[in-house]
Amino acid sequence: MTQASPGDGLTAERPRRSIRSLLQSTEVDTRLLGMILALAIIWVGFNIMSGGLFLTSRNLWNLSVQSSSIAIMATGMVLIIVSRNIDLSVGSLLGFLGYTMAMVQVVWFPTNPLTWLIALVVGVFLGAIIGGFQGFIIAYGKVPAFIVTLGGFLVWRGLLFEYALGQTLAPMDPTFQLLGGGPTGSLGESYSWIVGILACLGIIYSLISGRRRRRGYGFPLRPRWAEVTIGVLGCGAALGAVWVANNYFWPVELAKSYAQTHNIVEPPGGLQIPTGIAFPVLIVLVVGLVMSFIATRRRFGRYVFAIGGNPEAAELGGINTRRTIVSTYVLMGILCSISAAISTARLNAGVTSLGVQNELDVIAAAVIGGTSFSGGIGTVPGAILGAVVMQSLRSGMVLLRVDSPVQDIVVGCVLVAAVGLDTFLRRGNKR
Amino acid sequence: MFVRRMAAITAVVAIVAAGCSSSGTPAPAASVAASGGGTGAGSAAGCIVGVSWNNYQEERWAKWDEPAIKAALAAAGATYISTDAKSSAATQTTDIENLISQKAKVLIILAQDDSAIKSSVATATAANIPVIAYDRLIEDPKAFYVSFDNVEVGRMQARAVFKAVPKGNYVFIKGDKADANARFLKSGQDEIIKAAVDSKDIVNVGETNTDAWTPAKAQTEMEQFLTANNNKVDAVLSENDGMAGGVVAALTAQGLQGKVAVSGQDGDAAALNRVALGTQTVDVWKDSRMLGKAAGEAAVQLCNGTTVDKISGASPFTTPGGNTVSSVLLKADPIDQTNLNDVLSAGWITKDVLCKGVTAGKVPGC
Amino acid sequence: MTIESSATTATTATAAAAIAADQPPLVEMRDIRVSFGGVHAVDHVTIDLHAGEVVGLVGGNGAGKSTLMRVLSGATPADSGQILIEGKPVTISNPRDAKTYGIETIYQTLALADNIDAAANLFLGRELTSRLGSLDDGAMEAATRKIMFRLNPNFKNFKVPVKSLSGGQRQSVAIARAVHFNARILIMDEPTAALGPAETAQVRDLVRQLKAEGIGIFLISHDIHDVYDLSDRISVMYHGRVVDTVTKDKSSTDDILAMIIMGKKPHEVTSEEMAQILA
Repeated sequence: MTQASPGDGLTAERPRRSIRSLLQSTEVDTRLLGMILALAIIWVGFNIMSGGLFLTSRNLWNLSVQSSSIAIMATGMVLIIVSRNIDLSVGSLLGFLGYTMAMVQVVWFPTNPLTWLIALVVGVFLGAIIGGFQGFIIAYGKVPAFIVTLGGFLVWRGLLFEYALGQTLAPMDPTFQLLGGGPTGSLGESYSWIVGILACLGIIYSLISGRRRRRGYGFPLRPRWAEVTIGVLGCGAALGAVWVANNYFWPVELAKSYAQTHNIVEPPGGLQIPTGIAFPVLIVLVVGLVMSFIATRRRFGRYVFAIGGNPEAAELGGINTRRTIVSTYVLMGILCSISAAISTARLNAGVTSLGVQNELDVIAAAVIGGTSFSGGIGTVPGAILGAVVMQSLRSGMVLLRVDSPVQDIVVGCVLVAAVGLDTFLRRGNKR
Repeated sequence: MFVRRMAAITAVVAIVAAGCSSSGTPAPAASVAASGGGTGAGSAAGCIVGVSWNNYQEERWAKWDEPAIKAALAAAGATYISTDAKSSAATQTTDIENLISQKAKVLIILAQDDSAIKSSVATATAANIPVIAYDRLIEDPKAFYVSFDNVEVGRMQARAVFKAVPKGNYVFIKGDKADANARFLKSGQDEIIKAAVDSKDIVNVGETNTDAWTPAKAQTEMEQFLTANNNKVDAVLSENDGMAGGVVAALTAQGLQGKVAVSGQDGDAAALNRVALGTQTVDVWKDSRMLGKAAGEAAVQLCNGTTVDKISGASPFTTPGGNTVSSVLLKADPIDQTNLNDVLSAGWITKDVLCKGVTAGKVPGC
Repeated sequence: MTIESSATTATTATAAAAIAADQPPLVEMRDIRVSFGGVHAVDHVTIDLHAGEVVGLVGGNGAGKSTLMRVLSGATPADSGQILIEGKPVTISNPRDAKTYGIETIYQTLALADNIDAAANLFLGRELTSRLGSLDDGAMEAATRKIMFRLNPNFKNFKVPVKSLSGGQRQSVAIARAVHFNARILIMDEPTAALGPAETAQVRDLVRQLKAEGIGIFLISHDIHDVYDLSDRISVMYHGRVVDTVTKDKSSTDDILAMIIMGKKPHEVTSEEMAQILA
C-alpha cells in the first residue's frame, strides 16, 4: 500500500483512467453527479411514460413543493446519521409541532394579527427543546438513539392524539398559509429572477475566491476549463430552474379572480401571471445553504463528521462529543418545526395524522442521497436530492395512475438498489 | 452498580406510571369502570361487557362512542371494561384474551384487522361468549354486526355528488387499502354512478388508495391528478373528511375550490364548515352515539341469554365473504347545505365552528 | 516556556538530573491507581518527568504502561492519586484539560478519524478559523503541508480521507498532530509501530530534537533497544506496578529485560532465573 505511481496501470485501462482522473481534477463530487444522472433518467422515463406530462413547468413546480418538507428534515438527518445516530421520531415530532402551531392559530390566539409569528416561534422553540431533550438522553444518558427516538416516535404522536382527540383544526392564518406555497405563496417573476441571479453570482464568487485562496497558499489549482464548466453549469441550473418556475402560470381560475379584484381587464386567453419560486422551495434553498455551511465550514460540522469517523478519536481530540450530539438533535428539532409549518400551511389544517411515515421517507432520502449508516459519510445537497428522487418516484407514479401498493414496492426496490449500487461502486473504487 | 441500575429502573417506572395516570380515561391494560348502581331493570347486574378498541386515539371513539356504550350498559347495571390495541392486530388478540380472563360475558370488538381477529372471535364464541362486531365487520357467522351501513354511506356520497355533477370527469380518493370499509364505500359509490360510467357520461380520470387515510397524501394525489388532467376534473369522491380536506387544499391552490364537487364522511368540524362554505358538497354524518347505544343494548340482551338472531331490530346481512350474520345497520345522514341544522340541533357542533367565515344567512343554519 | 533556555543545554541524562535538584519535575504522577472491574491496571504508581528528558516506559502486554499514560492524557480517569505539573497539583479529567497543560499524546491506536483528511485530523478540536468563526481549511492545509514536509517528505495525499493512507502515513499524521501545538509534555505510545526503517530514523531524530527543545517525553515502546537508545531514564512496569526506574549508566538492556519478564529488581533475581531468561 505505498503510493501508486501514476504510470503503473495497464495501457488498456487508459481511457477509463483518464475519464476518472479528468473528474478527479475537477474535484466534483462524483456521487452527487451520479445522483443527478439517475434523477435525469427517472424524469425522462416518467416523461415518456406519461406522454410528456412529467417535464412540464407545472409538474416540476408541484414536485418542488411536494419534496420540500422531507428535504428540509433530510438535511438534519444527514448530520444525525453521520454521527452514527438515528432519529425515528421526526414524523411524530412533525405531527406534534404542526398541530401545536395549528392550536396557536385556531384555539389560543385566533384573533391576534401576529398569530402566524407566534405559531412559528412556539413551534421552533418547542422543536428545539424536544430535540434537545432526546439528544440529552442519548448523549448523557447513554441510551441508544434508536431506542430514545423510537420512544419519541410513540410519545409525540401519543401526546398529539391525547390533546387533539382526533379533531382537525382549520383554517390557518392567511399569512401562515403563504409558507405552504401555492401560487400566492410564491415569489413571483421578478423576485424569482433576482434569486436566480444572486445564486449565479454566489457560484461565481465562490469559484473565484476559492481559486484565489488556493493560489495564495500555493496549492495545486483546478484546471481553468473545469472552473469555467462548473460555473456555467451551476449558473445554467440556477437560471433554468427559475425559468421553469416562472413558466408555470397562475391557474386560470385564480388569475381570473385576481383580475377581478385588481380591476384588470383580462386579455384574450386569460391573464398570464408567472408563479415563480414557491416559498417552501425558497426555504429549502436557504436551509440547504445554511446546513451545508454548518456541515462543511463550521467546527460543529467538522466535529459531527469526526465523531462519525471515530468517536474515540474525536473524544481524545478534545471534542465535547456529547454536547455535539445534543446539538445535532436540537437542529433536527428545529428543522422538524420548519417542515411542520410548511406541511400544516400547505394542507391549511392541523391534522393528527400529519407526518405519518415521514421518518421513513426522511431516512430514505438521506440514505439515497449517499449518507452511510456506518457513519462519517454524507452530504446535505445529496440528502435534498434524495428527497427529490423519492418524491419524483411517488408523484410520477400517481401521474401514471399507479396505486399505492405498487408505489411502495417500487420505492422500496429503488431504496435498496440505490444503496446497494453505491456500496458496490465504493468497494470498486477502493480496489 | 446494581443500586444505580435499580434506581434508574425505579425512576423509569415512576415516570411511566405518572404518564399513564395523567393520560386519563383509557388505562392501557383494562380499566374496570363499575358503572353506576343497577337502578333500572337491574336485569343485567353482574354482567361484564368487555370492549376491545383497535385505536382509542381517534377522536370519535373516546368522545362519542365510549360514553354512549357506557351509558347503555349503566342503564342496565352492567359493568364496562376496555382495552386499547393501539392499531396493532397482535395486541388486539392479547387484549381479547385479557378481557376473557377478566370474566367478560360479552365482547364488543372494534377490529383492527377483519381477518386477523377471526381466531380470537372463534375462541370467544367457543367459550359461549357472544361477540359484537362494532362498526367494522368480522367475517364470522356467530358474531353480531352493529354498524352504519357503509355501502349505504358510499351510495349517499355518490348520490349527492352525482346530483351536483351528473356528467364529467371524476376522481376517486379511496381510503387505506387494508381497510374493508374503503371497499364497502367504493362499492356503494359504484352502484350509483355505474349507469353513467357505462354511458360514458362519467369518466374515471384518477383513482388511488391513500395509506392510512392521510390528508397530506390525499393532497399530493389530488395535485397530481389535476396536473395529469390539466385541471379538467369536475367531481371528487373522497371517502372521508380528512382526505377531503387535502383534496380541497389542492383545489384551492388551483382556484377550483367550490367549483368541483367533493364528498366526505365522519362529520368532522372542519368538514362541516367546508360544507357551509360550499367547498365540500356533502358530508355523510354518522351519529356515533346511536351506534354506541345500539351496541350497548345488544350486549345487555346477549348477557341475558338472547341469541344473536333474536336481538331487537336484528336482520340478516350477507357479508362480502358469503357469510350471513345477524346485524343492526344504522342509517347515516348526508349533510349538505340544505340540512346543516341537523348537526346543530343534535348538539354535534356549535354554530360558531360550523359557520366560521360564512356570510350570515347565506345558508340555512348560519 | 520559561525553562526553555536552560533546557536546551540539557541534552544528557546527567544534565537533566542536575536540573531536577533545584526545580520541581515537569510532571509528577503520585500514587496513581486505576482499576477495571477489580483488576488493578495501574496500582499505586509514582513516576516523574523533567523538562528536556525522555523517560522510557517498558513492560509486557497489560503491564499498565498505556493505561498510566491515558490517565495523564485525560483519556482514562484515575481512581485515586495526584498529578502535579511543575509542582502544582492539577486535575485532568478529559483530553481537553490535558491539552491546556501542554500535554500531547500519540496514541497507539493513532486516534484518527478515518473519514476526514490529514489537515482536518491534525487540527481536530483546535481548528483554525477565520474572523467569523468559519473553518479556514486553506490555512490548515498550508500548515499541514509544512509540517508533513518536515516529518515525511513523501507525504502528498492532502485531499483524501486518512482511511486511504498507508499505515506509515497515518502514523505521520498522528505524530504531526502531537508535535504541532507546542507541547511541553509529549506522550508517545509506540510511535514507530507502523513505520519503515527510514521513517523510524526520522522519528528518532525528531525525539532528540524535541528533547533538545526542552520538551519532556514519555516514550512507550516494546522495542527495548529503541527505548534504551533514546531514553534518559527507564521505568519498568509489571502487572500495574513500577518495578524500578533506572538510568542507563546503572543498568544494561539485559537487566531491564529481566525486570520486564520477572517483575523483580536485578539484585532480587536469582542466578538460575537469570540463566533461564538468557537461555
